[in-house]
Amino acid sequence: MSNRREFFSLLTRTMAEPARSQEQPARITPASGLEAYTAPLTLDDVYHLLRRITFAPTPALAQQLVGKTADEAVELLLGSGDDAPPASPGDWIDLATENPENADLDTRNSIEMQWQNNFARLQEWWVGLMHGEQLPAREKLTLFWSGHFTTEFTFDDKAMPPQLLYRQNQLIRSLRLGDFRQFAEDMTLNGAMLMYLGGELNVAGKPNENYGRELLELFTTGLGAYTEGDIQEAARILTGWRIARFNDEPALNGMYNTYFDAESHDIDAKQFMGESVAARTPDNNTEYLVRRDEVRELINIIFRQRPDAVARFISRKLYHYFVYSKPAAGDDTIINQLADVFKQSGFQIRPLVAALLKSAHFFDEANRGVQIKTPAECLAGLPRQLGTPDARVNDVMNTIEQVLMDPPNVAGWEGYRSWISTTTYPLRSQFARSYVQALPDTSAVNFAKQFPDYDDVEKLTAALERYFLPKSVSQSRHQNYVKTLLQGAPDYEWPQIIATDTAGAAVRLRALLSAFIKAPDFQLC
Amino acid sequence: MKRRTFLKYSTAATVAAAGTSMIGGLPVRAVSPLGLLDSAEENDNILIIVQMFGGNDGLNTIIPAEDDTYQKIRPSIRVPAEFAYRIASSQTFMHPALVESHNDGFMRLWDDGRLAVIQGIGYENPNLSHFRSTDIWLSGINSSDPTVRLGDGWVGRYFAHRHPDFPQVTPDHPLAVQIGGTLSLAFRSERGDTGIALTNPEDFFELGQGLSPDEEPMAGDSAFAQEFNFIRTIARDSDRYSQVVKDAFDKGTNTLDYDKGFAKQLQLVARLISGGLRAKVYMVHMGGFDTHVQQQDISQQGQHPGLLKAFSAGVSQFMQDALEQGFANRVVGMNVSEFGRRPYENGSHGTDHGAASVQLVWGSKVKGFVYGENPDLKNLNANGDLVYQFDYRRIYAEVMQTWFGASEADSEAILGAKIIPLPILQSTATSVEIPVVRNAEAGLHIAPNPSQGESTLTFELVQPARVEVELYSSRGTLVTPVYSGLLGMGYHTLPVAVRQTGAYYCVLKANGRRLMVPFAVVR
Repeated sequence: MSNRREFFSLLTRTMAEPARSQEQPARITPASGLEAYTAPLTLDDVYHLLRRITFAPTPALAQQLVGKTADEAVELLLGSGDDAPPASPGDWIDLATENPENADLDTRNSIEMQWQNNFARLQEWWVGLMHGEQLPAREKLTLFWSGHFTTEFTFDDKAMPPQLLYRQNQLIRSLRLGDFRQFAEDMTLNGAMLMYLGGELNVAGKPNENYGRELLELFTTGLGAYTEGDIQEAARILTGWRIARFNDEPALNGMYNTYFDAESHDIDAKQFMGESVAARTPDNNTEYLVRRDEVRELINIIFRQRPDAVARFISRKLYHYFVYSKPAAGDDTIINQLADVFKQSGFQIRPLVAALLKSAHFFDEANRGVQIKTPAECLAGLPRQLGTPDARVNDVMNTIEQVLMDPPNVAGWEGYRSWISTTTYPLRSQFARSYVQALPDTSAVNFAKQFPDYDDVEKLTAALERYFLPKSVSQSRHQNYVKTLLQGAPDYEWPQIIATDTAGAAVRLRALLSAFIKAPDFQLC
Repeated sequence: MKRRTFLKYSTAATVAAAGTSMIGGLPVRAVSPLGLLDSAEENDNILIIVQMFGGNDGLNTIIPAEDDTYQKIRPSIRVPAEFAYRIASSQTFMHPALVESHNDGFMRLWDDGRLAVIQGIGYENPNLSHFRSTDIWLSGINSSDPTVRLGDGWVGRYFAHRHPDFPQVTPDHPLAVQIGGTLSLAFRSERGDTGIALTNPEDFFELGQGLSPDEEPMAGDSAFAQEFNFIRTIARDSDRYSQVVKDAFDKGTNTLDYDKGFAKQLQLVARLISGGLRAKVYMVHMGGFDTHVQQQDISQQGQHPGLLKAFSAGVSQFMQDALEQGFANRVVGMNVSEFGRRPYENGSHGTDHGAASVQLVWGSKVKGFVYGENPDLKNLNANGDLVYQFDYRRIYAEVMQTWFGASEADSEAILGAKIIPLPILQSTATSVEIPVVRNAEAGLHIAPNPSQGESTLTFELVQPARVEVELYSSRGTLVTPVYSGLLGMGYHTLPVAVRQTGAYYCVLKANGRRLMVPFAVVR
């Protein structure tokens, strides 16, 4: 679908389809399963897919995907996974940083101020990627894994160099569709993770259980698949790994890289999930061997001993992220089907995500419009939909509880209804209203002119409804939206207004967008 | 040490030494009168919850500083007795950070009889996950099955129970207020959120105005309709409560400026109460208690002391404010945290996740006392963690029944279990007492005590009454019903059989009053 005229004719055809089903008695639960969705994608199908796998649909992306099958569209959206990384956020990512920990207060403040500034640049860099994403769509999955293998910029009573967070973020992006077993191993020895969950202070004799517990509870198996003894043994296995954080620390493998401190490693035998990890002598207590025979083996044992728990835990979490985040959503049947796909592929992420996004279940009408927009979808999404970036997105995200790379705790963001409260809803609403009010006249009008039949007030209103709201609206709401767009003008004057009166058309378009923003379903996707 | 506090502590200690009926640190006169009737009108008492996320180290909060084992198992993060503050003449101490703050912090509250210290708070089958255990605490449901979803909170269920028309009919004032951006699980109910979240009342007012959506609630039970209606209610509440919150904030005052940080949350709570906001429960939040590394140093400084100090200063400033403004009699505050920490320190100068911990409850209507005993560091559970002495839901049951005036049946419905309240609060119910058991608690006898399992309960009824007798563990959960039926005037004897060694209460309920007699079984 490369030709613009073809796209328009498809859109027109799509719009002539029967109205979407909000007014009909809605099915409460999805009836379909993991079987492939085979129909060519309509505009509504494409919007639904783009709402979930990017931060919001754009007309250009929709144009590329309408008429394709779900299989074709999802392949394009996911990409191969081995694409080149995005350009870096700046030279600071490779600069060594001073150590604030034993510095005097002024020095400490100035170091941490520098981190804070660079951290803000890092966040803005990421928001920019979310906003401008084309094909393949990488950032939604990168954000998923960033909330899964969590770290925080500020934690306990300290912060971490954003250089570490940048490295972790790039690693996550490169592994987002890859081998989940490898992912778990790499995250276990990742610098930001070692610093965040105390791995860098984990010593033989008195192990620190923090990472060992979260590795099982939050990163791989989920609750109920391990004993407290397993956690204690995992902590012993993981003793001895250190990270070059500051310019006054050893950097055996280079700055910001992990290295092994043999003296801190517990060389006695361990028992984990019923398997033995052999004792070692001081002679073979080396970085290479301990990584291979203990760290990698620890991860291997988890996948060998608890494959079902891992497969179900990750499948359920992805299901909640892409389909419906209500904790009770996703019945055992669909989760087990997904878990089977995951296991059969040897825990490859791409086949799992692809099977979900290509399924009849994903496209089931009962699963549309049910997701509460995350702050990222809400704030990076609206400027993305309107094509004009907004420099405030990152700051506002920080005030509505989604601070990128600094979630509230080690479980990441709780999600679902916790996103919306009487504090955060008014702030979302304020951002969206002020964004729309500040939208330049020409931007507003050019935006509207991307839609076919934009000079027909009824058709333009309907097209914008389906672009901004996840399900069709009632006839009375539609009529109100038409009235809002006209602002008292007779409908036959609309073609002239949009053709000749840029200011007048923009005022009316802003009024319509403001009315959408005030509707509850504007927060759903 | 002030003489008054000495007496308060030693009275209970003397009773215990006499061996009459002290169990698990409970004073012998522990009687909790039932809210006699299920009053339709709620009183104006207020609960303030301080959530400490991460798992507060109870053992370094209220400290057995003279216990050699304590000093030995915490070589780098211990609080030596010379740094700790002794509570009355006991062997129980406060961390210096709890005392060396505004107005002597929690020690001043103790001295004034406004602090209850509950040792060994916890629950059966402790879960060491932050998230699962937080859910257990905030939901008020202890499910050891991790697949059981804990989706609503004990406060939310309480309000839904008391307001059958919620949310179609909502009160003029919010029922509960969360200071912060995200509403706590505690305030969620099956029928929707029973509280509002706010950080700044002026923003709340400015931004909330006019947000009520034009759309009607969506019919049907589809997921789309459920989420649509959830957001619609939040939008409506943002608008609807913007004015009452603003009015209370403008009308209210504080008599002092609180410390920066955490204390500011309590300052806002005090100002809203002072200005007449009729929310019944407030929640404030502290993070940072997950002290796996560098918890504190030997000079008693560090992350954990910093948090305790902020906590102590905030509570102390709040209580001064409340006393000076005259609403101290209406507020009770408590901390909740998902678990305590492992008694043995790890090698990172920190502590890993543990089980039982300590809870502080403060307010002018609190019965100042140390409930329970110092943790037994020689009898840890299989995982090396502290064993609990009191089920955490006993405090919730006490708040509901004694503080909010709910009935025992309400409390049972909300907690989904029979839990005997821990009598830490003075009753505010103005009930007319109709004595049924002669001499009340003193007329209730169980013998032999301790027994080998077979005991007899004797009492005298001054009039015929429907009588229920139940056996509870000393931790507060129901063991077994003993008797239920109508009894005539006169003396009665009932057999009480217990299979397991332990400390128990025999509880007799008649005519809306609950009498308890503690006893022990050694088999």
